Amino acid sequence: MAKASTKAGVRRSRKKTANELLLRVPALEFNQGKDRRLYSFAVDGKELHKFCTISRVSRNDSEGLSGYQRPEVVSHIVQIREYLESENPLLPNAIVVAFDESVRFKPSSPNSENDKAISRTGVLEIPVKEGVLDALKPGWIVDGQQRAAALRDARVEGFPICVVGFIASGLEEQRQQFILVNATKPLPKGLIYELLPSTEGKLPIALQRRRYPALLSERLNFDDDSPMQGMIRTPTNGTGVIADNSILKMLENSLTDGVLYLYDDIEEQLDVLKTFWSAVKTVFPDAWGELPRKSRLMHGAGIVAMGFLMDTIADRHRRTKALTSKVFVNDLEPLRDICHWTEGYWEFGADNRLKWNELQNVPRHIQLLSNYLLIQYRELVWKA
Amino acid sequence: MKFFFPDSQDLVDPSFDFDTEKRKETRIRQRDDLYAHEVFEKPPYDGMLVSMAIVHGTGGSTGRYTLGQQRRFSVEGAREFLRLPKGLELIGDCGAFTYVKEPVPPVSVEQVARFYEDSGFDYGASVDHIILEYDPQWDRPLPGTKPVPEDCVRRQELTIQLARDFQKLCRQQKVRFEPIGIAQGWSPKSYSKAVSALQKMGYKYIALGGLVPLKSTEILQVLEEVSPKLRPSTGLHLFGVTRLDYVKEFARHSVISFDSTSPLTQAFKEDRENYYGPERKYPAIRVPQVDINQKLKNRILSGEVSQAEAFRLERECLEALRDFDRRSFRRLELIEVLNEYQQLYGSTRNYSADYEILLKDRPWKECPCAVCRKLGINVVIFRGAERNRRRGFHNVYVTYKRLKHIRGKARTL
Ligand SMILES: [Zn+2]
Repeated sequence: MAKASTKAGVRRSRKKTANELLLRVPALEFNQGKDRRLYSFAVDGKELHKFCTISRVSRNDSEGLSGYQRPEVVSHIVQIREYLESENPLLPNAIVVAFDESVRFKPSSPNSENDKAISRTGVLEIPVKEGVLDALKPGWIVDGQQRAAALRDARVEGFPICVVGFIASGLEEQRQQFILVNATKPLPKGLIYELLPSTEGKLPIALQRRRYPALLSERLNFDDDSPMQGMIRTPTNGTGVIADNSILKMLENSLTDGVLYLYDDIEEQLDVLKTFWSAVKTVFPDAWGELPRKSRLMHGAGIVAMGFLMDTIADRHRRTKALTSKVFVNDLEPLRDICHWTEGYWEFGADNRLKWNELQNVPRHIQLLSNYLLIQYRELVWKA
Repeated sequence: MKFFFPDSQDLVDPSFDFDTEKRKETRIRQRDDLYAHEVFEKPPYDGMLVSMAIVHGTGGSTGRYTLGQQRRFSVEGAREFLRLPKGLELIGDCGAFTYVKEPVPPVSVEQVARFYEDSGFDYGASVDHIILEYDPQWDRPLPGTKPVPEDCVRRQELTIQLARDFQKLCRQQKVRFEPIGIAQGWSPKSYSKAVSALQKMGYKYIALGGLVPLKSTEILQVLEEVSPKLRPSTGLHLFGVTRLDYVKEFARHSVISFDSTSPLTQAFKEDRENYYGPERKYPAIRVPQVDINQKLKNRILSGEVSQAEAFRLERECLEALRDFDRRSFRRLELIEVLNEYQQLYGSTRNYSADYEILLKDRPWKECPCAVCRKLGINVVIFRGAERNRRRGFHNVYVTYKRLKHIRGKARTL
């Protein structure tokens, strides 16, 4: 295939010398079944690429095995790379490598005291050819491709990692293992968010940003004095009526552009949140606590739009008085009649009229509802 | 003549580190970022122009602001949101370019007036509908020439009617902003007719829309037709026009202000005129990010290019540029490295000759602006929003400096 002979490829093969070395690493061998031997060892992540290829993609001359890489891969690699460049990274899970038959295991002296029934110590001998084409390397990374790429690209001197290898009888078997380990489902997003508050240390930036809102959401869900106690639906609280994502969105909005931005202290933030949502519960008792299909107040659009109202009421009063329950109730009361959480029609003006249950959790409707509530608030409360 | 800079959420992140290319993790968009008027010691414009379409979106478009920012914009007001210093003015318009393809504007006069009033603008433009065609021949039709397209006439009538409604509403509601009437036309005479109508309604500040695609001489022809009919108290604004070479002529025809993003956008949209030097414009040096450049990404995904090789060359380019700026890397070798990377990511353009001039002139060394002082050679590297936008800010700075120079020479401006 013409593509295989790119500039980079040509340059590499030209550099190729017959300088074959034997990389010898201390390893543990164990049997997982008949003819199934696994080797566990540690290696510098930067060294990995001397004997492993991340992808067999360039071997597709005749076989037509096109790359396994999914489109989002590159951005994911960048995330891991940034994590590896952080203060004190940890990469406990092993990279899984399928070796071809040129790799050998040499057990240490028979009956070494470290040997047990299921494992024995020794040295794994991996042939390393300087400047060889990727396709000719003895190892193929079947799990951990993105971590391996990140290790290679990270601006760190070195980073020891754990490798689990096995010797595959051929390409077919390598591929089978590749499919098997990569067919597992990723963790559901919701579970990750739920685990976030109890993690420490650096996480990939996207998750890092969600950690604080997740912590606030957790407190709203579990604190005894929270009006939302037990109401936020998470993987471990399946009976909640409000989707955790709606709460997180509301919190994120306020943390960047609303009242929560003004406080550094989490207790103060929670205080405002609990006071406001208690007021919402007081003013809209019938819509509160119902499933979203019965009440749009508990729906993504309702939660997010009411969050903006919280920020606006706070903006109006915070300079002059404490944000008490009374302040919020007084400012919400005049809006009671124009809200149609459980029945009737939203009169958004002009030809924009929506039946209460036509309101969907989509950006367009969230914007429509938010603007409507804010304009009504300005007219009926702020200017009145 | 005043220069207004249109807002489209063009900010830079001061926590961005040009060596590691990382930003502070706790950075909050817009709040921690800087506008051009916060980057330089003195704002590089006389005011800003904010379109309702950019903030809220209109009809189908969603706008550039998040919902949280939209809310804060309306509660705090535009001035506080933009952190605009005293003395700078604010014009609001509806952003007709976003709905140019629709049959009628998807915004109402009431919505637009409320937007201006609630956000505290100094000036607010009426609702308009851009006319896409322009042909001076329609003013002197010869036998056989096709008549003015109906759609042009319809759009002009609509725009005039909306300006009338807007003026009426502003008077009724005693708004605090000064209304600007927008004129649309398809020829010098048709613009003149629209301007006269607006003047009759009581507008003292009139903006000409739809001029962006016109040549400078065509704009002048329009002004020559329009200005004789103006009262002494009427001033004109030109939407989306920066033609510094014509500023004096424009001023003679009662133009008192204009706005344009082109100094900013040229920094990353033009092929070869990305950096404004004192004598000429230069192309910026392309060093795209391996993980963002789509062409390169595709070549990596298809196995055509090795990712490791791409990363290596990318880094080599950046290091060579840095060393060159410290005078410890030679120009010709630098160009060679840049070319090697360029071949990898598959660009067909050859910039070598341009790069050579740029690297010989080193214009960023001479520029006194805060961006060039701080960034050094990074300001001429075409790469990612943080570099590209700062280069755009530099261009805005250069543009404004030139305008002030022209103004200084002619006191009447
Ligand atoms: Zn500069």
